[in-house]
Parts: sequence; C-alpha cells; structure tokens
Amino acid sequence: MRITRLGISNFRSIKALDLDLNETTVLIGPNNAGKTAILDAVRIVLTRRWGQHGTGFTEYDVHLADEDADPKAPPGVSIEIRVEEQQAGEWPEALQQDLDEIVQTDPATGKTFIILRASCVWNEAAGSFEPSWIFLNAGRAPLVGGSARRMNLERFWQYLPVFYLGALRDADDEFSPRSQFWGRLLKAMEIPPALETKVQRVLDLLNKKLLQADPRLAQIAETLSGATRVAARDRDGKVDLRLVPLKSWDLLSKAEIILRNEPDWPWLPLQRHGQGVQSLSVIFLFQAFVEHLLAELYEADSAPVLALEEPETHLHPQAARTLWTHIKALPGQKIITTHSPYFVQHVPFRDLRLVRLTESGTDVYSLPSNFSARIPHVAALDAVVGGSGGLLEYDRAAEMLTVHGKLDEQRYRDVLTCYGTHADRAVIHGVLRDLRDRALLFIGDEELRALETFARRIRGEIFFARRWFIVEGQAEYLLVHAIARELGYDLDEHGVAVIDAQNNGNPAIFSALARALAIPWLAVFDGDGAGHGYCQSIEARDFEAAFVATRCRTLAAGDLEAQLVADGLEAELKTALTNLSVAGAAAADQAALLGYLRGHKTAYAAELATMLRGNVALAGRMPQAFRDAIADLRGLA
Amino acid sequence: MTDNPLEQSLAKLTDIQREAVAWDNGAMLVLAGPGSGKTQVLTCRIARLLDEGRDRSFRILALTFTNKAADEMKERVTNFVPGLEERANIGTFHSFCGQVLRQHGIHLGIKPDFAIYSQDDDRNAVLEDALKRAGMDPLAVRYLSLIDRMKTMLVEPKDAESRLTRTTDAHAIALTYQAYEDELRRLNVLDFNSLIFEAHRLFSNFPAIAVRYRRSYPYWLLDEFQDTNDAQYRLIRAMAGQDFKNVFAVADDDQIIYQWNGASFRQLQRFRADFAPQLIQLPTNYRCPPAIVTAANRLVAYNVQRTEAKKPLVAGKTELKLPAHEHIQLRAFDSDETEAEEIAKEIAVRGKSQWGQTTVLARTRALLERMQKALQVQQVPAVIAQRRDDFLSAEIRWLVACLVETVRPLDRRNLAVLADAFNRFAEIQVSVGQVLSDAEASGVAYLRVWAEAAKREVGDGSPRLTLIEAASRLEPASAKKIADDILAEFASQATGSDPDPDLAEDLAAWREISNDIGKHFGRNITLDEFLQQLQLRSKEPSPQPNTVTLMTVHGAKGREFDFVYLIGLAEDILPSFQSRQKGDGSPEMEEERRNCFVAITRAKESLILSRASTYRGWGKQPSRFLVEMGLAQG
Repeated sequence: MRITRLGISNFRSIKALDLDLNETTVLIGPNNAGKTAILDAVRIVLTRRWGQHGTGFTEYDVHLADEDADPKAPPGVSIEIRVEEQQAGEWPEALQQDLDEIVQTDPATGKTFIILRASCVWNEAAGSFEPSWIFLNAGRAPLVGGSARRMNLERFWQYLPVFYLGALRDADDEFSPRSQFWGRLLKAMEIPPALETKVQRVLDLLNKKLLQADPRLAQIAETLSGATRVAARDRDGKVDLRLVPLKSWDLLSKAEIILRNEPDWPWLPLQRHGQGVQSLSVIFLFQAFVEHLLAELYEADSAPVLALEEPETHLHPQAARTLWTHIKALPGQKIITTHSPYFVQHVPFRDLRLVRLTESGTDVYSLPSNFSARIPHVAALDAVVGGSGGLLEYDRAAEMLTVHGKLDEQRYRDVLTCYGTHADRAVIHGVLRDLRDRALLFIGDEELRALETFARRIRGEIFFARRWFIVEGQAEYLLVHAIARELGYDLDEHGVAVIDAQNNGNPAIFSALARALAIPWLAVFDGDGAGHGYCQSIEARDFEAAFVATRCRTLAAGDLEAQLVADGLEAELKTALTNLSVAGAAAADQAALLGYLRGHKTAYAAELATMLRGNVALAGRMPQAFRDAIADLRGLA
Repeated sequence: MTDNPLEQSLAKLTDIQREAVAWDNGAMLVLAGPGSGKTQVLTCRIARLLDEGRDRSFRILALTFTNKAADEMKERVTNFVPGLEERANIGTFHSFCGQVLRQHGIHLGIKPDFAIYSQDDDRNAVLEDALKRAGMDPLAVRYLSLIDRMKTMLVEPKDAESRLTRTTDAHAIALTYQAYEDELRRLNVLDFNSLIFEAHRLFSNFPAIAVRYRRSYPYWLLDEFQDTNDAQYRLIRAMAGQDFKNVFAVADDDQIIYQWNGASFRQLQRFRADFAPQLIQLPTNYRCPPAIVTAANRLVAYNVQRTEAKKPLVAGKTELKLPAHEHIQLRAFDSDETEAEEIAKEIAVRGKSQWGQTTVLARTRALLERMQKALQVQQVPAVIAQRRDDFLSAEIRWLVACLVETVRPLDRRNLAVLADAFNRFAEIQVSVGQVLSDAEASGVAYLRVWAEAAKREVGDGSPRLTLIEAASRLEPASAKKIADDILAEFASQATGSDPDPDLAEDLAAWREISNDIGKHFGRNITLDEFLQQLQLRSKEPSPQPNTVTLMTVHGAKGREFDFVYLIGLAEDILPSFQSRQKGDGSPEMEEERRNCFVAITRAKESLILSRASTYRGWGKQPSRFLVEMGLAQG
C-alpha cells in the first residue's frame, strides 16, 4: 500500500496543490519553496498524535494569502491522501478485510483505493483549531456511518506508518536508547531468561571485584550511607556503589555502533566518525528497523512511508551519486527532498518534482504520464472513451476524464462534440481546452529513456537551474559562459544552466522539458541547415511559431566559426590557434582558418574563453546572437 | 467443565448440531424445525470461525429478517468471543444493503448520507413533487403501490413498460416510476424497497464490488432462509457470482408464512439448484411438549410443497412442568364474543404471574382487538404487538427530526416534520415555508432559523424555551448529551401531573432501541449511524411485565411462550376465506396450514386451541386443521 496522490490546500506556503507520488518521489527546489510543507502534510495525516488537542495543526499551519489574512477564516487546512492498488488484487487479503469499511473499488479496473481527508478549521465555540478527519468515497464525498468510526483511522495508520528523518540527523540522538528506530530495536531484543540470570551473576561478581580493587570505594559508599540515616526511617538503609550496569537492559541500552573504514584501522564509535557516515548510518538504521521490527509493531502487511530530507547531507559527490540506488532499495514508499545534483543524477525523470514558490503559493512541476480534468458524464462520452484504445479513461464516480498522453486534435473534437448541447458547455469546453493544453506537456516514456542515458552528465544540475540556455555543443557552452561573465551576467551566479544539446540528446526534447517544468529558456543555434532544423523540430512540438521565433536565435553567418570570422575576429582566432600550437594557423587564409577552427572546435573555444577573461571589449565583439540572448536571459520568465 | 462460554455451549450441542457448527467451506442447508436450537447453531458457528481465525482478518456476514434476531445473535456472539464480534456483520437484509449503498452507492449516483423514507406519507409527498416537477398528471400518485411492487420484483424504470403487459397505462406508469426515482435521487433519499433494489443493481452492474464483498466476507450465514423473497434471493446470487458457494442457510420450509411478500418454497429449490448445498436436518424440537410435536407432524404432513425426505419433528423436551393432559387443550364456544369473553376469564384466573408468559394468537388483527377488549373487562393488561414505523408522540418525533437536521442540515422535508411536530405539542404556529425562505435568504442553517422563529412564538418564560435552546445548540459531536437533556425534560413531563401515555411509551421505546443499538454497535457509534439504525427499527416498546401479548401468527414468528392460546380455529378464519376460495390443494391453503404449524409450535408448556361456532354471526365449521392434527373427528 502506498500513497498515489496527495492533495493539499491552505497549508503553510501551499494554497492548492495536487501531486502524484510514486514508489520513490524526489522533491527538489530552492529553500523555502515548500518541500518540507509537503513532507509535513503527509506526516500530519498519518501520525496518530494529531486529533488530540494541541498537536497536529496549529494556526501557523494555515496558508495566508497576504499579510492581512486571518488564519481563523474558512475554509481552513485540508489534506487529502489517496492510496491505491497499482493493479487489482495487489493488496493482501488481510489488509483489505481489515480496512473493509473504508475501501473503495473502482468498478472499471477492480482496483481498490482509500481516500483520507484531514482538515483543520477554527472552531469559534471551542476557541481553537479543531482537526478532523474523514474517509471519502470514490466521488470524494465523506463516508458516513460505520466508516466514520475512529477505529478505522487507527487501523489505517497501522498499515501505513510514516517515519521522518529530518535534514539534521544527529547520530547521537538517533542511536540513543529512546530513539524511534534504535531504541525500539534494542527493546525488542529477546534475551533468554537463563542468559539473563547468568549476565546478572557475572555483573554482580564483577562489581564486587571492582569494589575490592580499591578500598576507598567502600569508604565512599559508607559516607554516602549517611544520606539514608538523615532520611530518618525506622530501619537503616544502605548505599552501595554500582560500577557496572545493574541489569542486562542497562547493558543493551548502552550498545553502540563501532566501525572501521579499512581492515587495519582501529575500531571507532560511530560518533567519532565523520558527519557523512553518521548521517548515512541513520538511514540504514531505518532499513534495519523496517526489516526486523515493523511487522511486529504494526501489521504483517504494513508498508512504511519514509519522509526523508536531504539524504546526501555531508556526503562526497561520489557517495551522493550512488546513494540513489540504496535509497531506492529501502523498503516502502519514500518521499525525499534534496539539494544535491549528484543525487538527482540517477533519479528517473518521472520521480522528480520541482517545487517552487510562486505568487499563488507553492507550486509543483513534474513530467506526468497522464493528465486529468473533471467533467460531468454524458452517455456519448462512453463511446469516445471506449474507442480511444486506452488513451482516454473516465471515472464516473469522480467525474474525472484522464488522458494518457497527448490529446490529439481529432479526439479533442470528438470529446467536445459530446457536450455540444450540454447546458454548461461553455464551461466544459474551457475545461477541455485546458486539458488539451496541459496534455501538450506530455513526454513519452521512450524519449525520457533516451534522455536518461544521454543527458546523465547534465541532468543533475539542470533541474536546479532557474533558466536554461540551449546551445549546440561544447564550444558554444564555453563561449557563452565567458561572454556572459564579461557582460556582467555570470550564468552560474544567476542559476542559468547552459545545455549543450547535441551531446545530450537533441535540442527539441529540452525545449519540451523546459515547458513541462516551467523553466524559462532560450536557444542559439548555428545558422546552417542543422540549426534551422533544430528550430523546426522545436516548433513541431506544438510551440507557436512566433514563440519559437523569439526564443530560438540562429547565427546569421552560418556555423559558429563562420560567424566568428564574419564578426571580424580573425586575429583573435589565429592567436588562439597559435596558442594551441596549430602550425600554419597564423598565416592561414580565411578558408584554411575555418578548416583549422572546425578541426579544433572545443580547444579554440576554450582558448578564446580564456582570452575573454577581463576583456569586456572583446566580449562586445562576440556574435550578436549570443549577446542578445544573454541580455534577454535577464528577467526571462 | 470450562468457564469459557463458547466451549460450554459447544459441549452442550447434540452431535447433529455440532456437525452443522463444525461446517467449514461450501454451501450448506440446515433444515431446522421450530425450537431446534438454530440460533445456537448459527451463533456457535460464527463464534467458532472467529475463534479459530483469531490471527486472521476475515469478516463474517450473517443476514436475518428482524433487528431483534440480529441483536440477539450479536449479543450471543459477543458473549462467546468477546473482542472478535466486530468482525461479524450481523444485520437484516435491509440494514446490510444500507451499509453497502452508503459505502459504494456513488456508482449509482447515491450519496453516502442518503435518508431512508419508510413511511407512505413521505413517499406520497415525494411522488407528488416528482409529478409536479415533471408536469405530469397529479392523479398518477395512485401508481405508488404499483411502483413498490415493481421494485420488489427488481424491475427498473427503463424496463417497466415492457413488463406491464396487463394494463393500458403501461407508458404512464413507467414515466411515473422514472419521475419518482429521479426525485428520490434529487432529494438524496431511498425508500425501503430501494435498499435491496439498488444493492442488487450495484452488485449486478459492478461485479468488482461484489468481488470485494466476497473477499472481505468469505463466510455468509442466512437465518430463516425460507422467508427470503425473490429480490433477496437474487441479491444473494448477484453478490455470490458464479463461483462463491460459502453460504450457510438455515431454513424451515414448514414455516414459510410470508408467501404474500414473495417468500416461496421456490427460493429453497433455487438455492439447492444454484449452490448444491449439503443438507443437515435438525428435527429435534426442544421447545414443545410431545403432544404438540405429534400434532404439528400430523398437520404439516398434509402439505405437498416441502422438502422431500424431510424428517418429522422429534420431541426432545425433557423437563415438562405440566401434566400431559394440559399440553393440548381444546375449547369450543357458541360465538366469537363468548370465545373472547371465556378465554379472557380463563387467562384472568391464571393469575398475574403467568400473564407475561401468555400469548393469544389469531389469524387476523380483528380477532385480537376483540380479545384485547375482553381482557380489559377482566382487568388483565394486554397489548397487541405490532411493528411501529414511527414514534407516537410529537415530542419524540420532534427530537428525532432535530437530530436528523444536524446530520442533514439541508433536508427540507425533515425540517417540515420538525416544525410540524413542535407546533403540535407546543401549540404554536411556526410556518415551515417561512423558515425555509428566511433561511435561504439569510444563509443561516434551517435549524437555527426555526429555533429563532419558535422562540418568538412561544414567548418569554415558556417552559419550551429550554427545548428550543437545546435544539439550536445541537451538532453531531454534542448530540448525545443534548438529546439526553431533552429526553430528561420529556421524562419529567411524561410522569407529571398530566401524564401522556404515548410519550411514556415512546420514551420506553427510545431507551430500549438505544440500548439495543449500543449493544450491537458499541457506544462510540456516530450519530449518523445511530439515526440509520433508529430509522430501520420498530418504535414499539417491549410490553410491561405481567402483560399478556396478543399477536397475529405472523408476528409470533421466532417467539415462544409458556402458554399459547390460538383462537379462531374455524373454517374461513384459519384457514382463511381466501385460501378456501383457492381450493383445498392450493398453495394458499398450504400456507394457512403452515400458519397453524407456526402458531402451535410457539408453546413451551401448554397449547389451548379454541373455536366458536359462529363468527360475526355466520356459522363456521371447525377448522380442518383440528382434524388434520388428530384433535377432532372429520
């Protein structure tokens, strides 16, 4: 069982948010964008502490649209989670039977699901924020009667326990005898009574021997016994010194992890190791906990939800990169926040969620495989859906139309026709138009697979960028960085990722990615056949021609080298080639020069970039298309 | 000996009962005669399954025909396996269907918080509104009973016209039916017949939901299966699908007395054909003295429509309080008046201590009313037991409406009930229409607006003010406490200087019902769930102690008394005039015979059979059943 969908409204920085959650979901975004609010929303709904007075929600949890907004004004906070089978019959029998009163069944797919809504509104009479919860039916209406009994909530929690590991993971705390995983693991250890007795005897003997080792110890004990005499009881008490633990639990509670990094290095307690190892150990401790104790403390079929903040904390890039494999393998569902491009490098595109703070609160962007809109049922729709070969799906209870991919024009028209005489057709047409437009953002599995392979090197960082600058190759990559720096707009500093598209797939796919993730972008291509081809392939992705014209520039003189030469940079180019010890470069005519340049593409560009350092005048003579693009990047939205 | 109640009960079972209790998988038909311990078999089996499956999560479904039977079974199961009873869903067909529809009805457009209208007034009003809305002939309201019949036959509105072959109004009736259903949906209301009708539709149209019930409930038990009508049987079939066979039905084909409601021997035959159940017979009767058992066997042997190879009852009662000649006694009188007078005298002579264990049974209510008057003359307290769909007093009706209003604050019809009831006992005139329009104009909840209006009407210083105040404070969380306050207020009123017997009865009924519901569902049941249960239950309190119970044979089903008087054993009475018209070998005549069979097998110590030579002045022959039982010469 895992959460498939999370809906949040009026919670902290979030005004309204709907997001799909996968087996593993990775939230990335700047600080304060609302990543932790998303994790907390899940935690609050699935934690048994809330529902009691004073815990769970507080007035600070209510989203405030502006400074004057009143947290006590309705509608208050609402968080909805949906857990659903991936295929019919996936959930174990016992779980279904136990949760019988709250499950819903999709009559079309046979899949079982549960929707829980937690809300919190100001209660005038009680003078406090009152949390409440209710399970919902397939149409998202509250289930009343037996389903509303608290027992069902408790059971649900039992099957979907949530664990939280914050960014500040302190091994000292997490490995203390009272901690959530370590402490419970230790307490669960079973020591056979015979061993227990034996341990007791050994401890007592050891204590005696130690006390005898130095007579002063006995004297100290005698002095301290004075305390019991002062307490004035009828019979004298006694003070003894205990130099070793009293019971086997005291021994166990002091258990600690020791480790060594190399076979011949000394064993050291975990706390003596680096922060990275400590932080990592805590994550693996969770795994040990789930493997050994979860079924015992919860149900055999319980599935944990792990809310994990910044798993990469203190880790070396190499370690951060490989961490994904381990995190993915952790049991249960994982919802992770990260700031590490290294970590993100191996995360599948579909698992990524870009979290941003916009004027309307926290927003999330992703690369979904389907798009939905709520429209009422009409009989004609059934035929259109039925004839779509699985592209369209309609959930009658929820009145939800889902398209698995793009909504092509013909099918879009077919659906519109169903509502031709509907009383609310104007509104419905609007909703459908919006659905079609959103579905344009669809990127298919195959393309994403190709990107996973080709764009691995850059995909870590580009998701953290605020803007994308798409160019053809590495030469342009080097040059635009140098030019921009000299023009006073350092690309790294301003969060602009330069994507050398040829090495990472093709430019068009990046334009589509940028659109789906709402990342502003610009492109500069060669003014040759290939370059114009790129512009066309971008336009073919359902971009308006006018938009493509403003976003895609080409070098007027042809390819990069032709443009540089045309811009009168022959002397500088020759110097660069000479610096690279290209024989004959200095005396080359234009045709030969172009030949040399094209033969040493990346190398001359790097040399030219070095020459640009501190040379604003030279930067000003660089190709117009680059300079214009850099100027436009400022404030591009 | 163990002190575990389940083990104790299991130890006391007979071999054949134990065999039934031990039944695990596959279809089973237990033919259980009257007084054969079938409830014990059912509850022991449920408890045994739960006990043996302690580490598992499966649930058990047990369907009964009355809430009383369900409550009793739940109580016994709770006693056998405390803590596990929650996994046993024991209820009537109707309450189970209600549950199913609240949870899954959305696929038929039914919202979870629907109301149930069981009273004809409400339903007539719905149909009137529907006809008005559809611009149809208001006289079509007369089709309501026809609509009911079609619903019990599971005929959907779209199929109605083609099914109505014997009328020329088929089209109009079908349209009326559709309009009625649309209006119910619009109001978010189901009527009583909708419950099984819609649940059947749900399971048939969306088999995935039936699959889920089969997975969650791998064991089904059906009590009094012989009373199942066609719709109920088809519901079970739709839920079971092709392969599910784990149905354990307990039935007695000699006790089918609901033929008029669709119960029929045919259902048993269908069950045997569809589920191919194994058969266990429990013929031993532990209730009646041997003479009654013999009479019952002789009587029912005249019926043809019963299971072949059905074993005759075996007398199993060992402790008899009365001498043999008192086990069956015959009385004959000149007229129905003297019959009532003399029987009343006889009962009076028995003395107070036996009245509570005495019942008078008759084929018709008219005979009972005469009997009640006669008993009154003898100063013997007596009540005619009858299902009550609503409370008698305006006070308690008002309270229920207030509670409903907190759960369904937009229910206009309920607000009308609320306001009318209060107007009646507070003797004021708050206009429902005014409240509704004020509420809609101001956006304030109906209940609040009504409370303001009522406050103005009753005036300052009225004792009614506390009631109104309490009602306006109602919300689901505080409902129990406030309802208790209101009830306390009514209680002082009912016992005051001017006692109101209706209110007193209602208060007693309320206490009993809320106790039963509490026992069945636990104290933490939601207000909504409580109201659903209240809606489905009879609002009739148990008789006071030392009161003689008067019942029709149908009402006596499942009951037992030390002393049973069966009156009116004459031709045209029992058997009824109608059955005689149908012929001696007719199914109707067989049903009358079963009526007689059920009636006589209620007696634990003594059965008194009485007849008169004339009823309403018409000479009547002794009932043929007297002859068939071997108690009179032919």
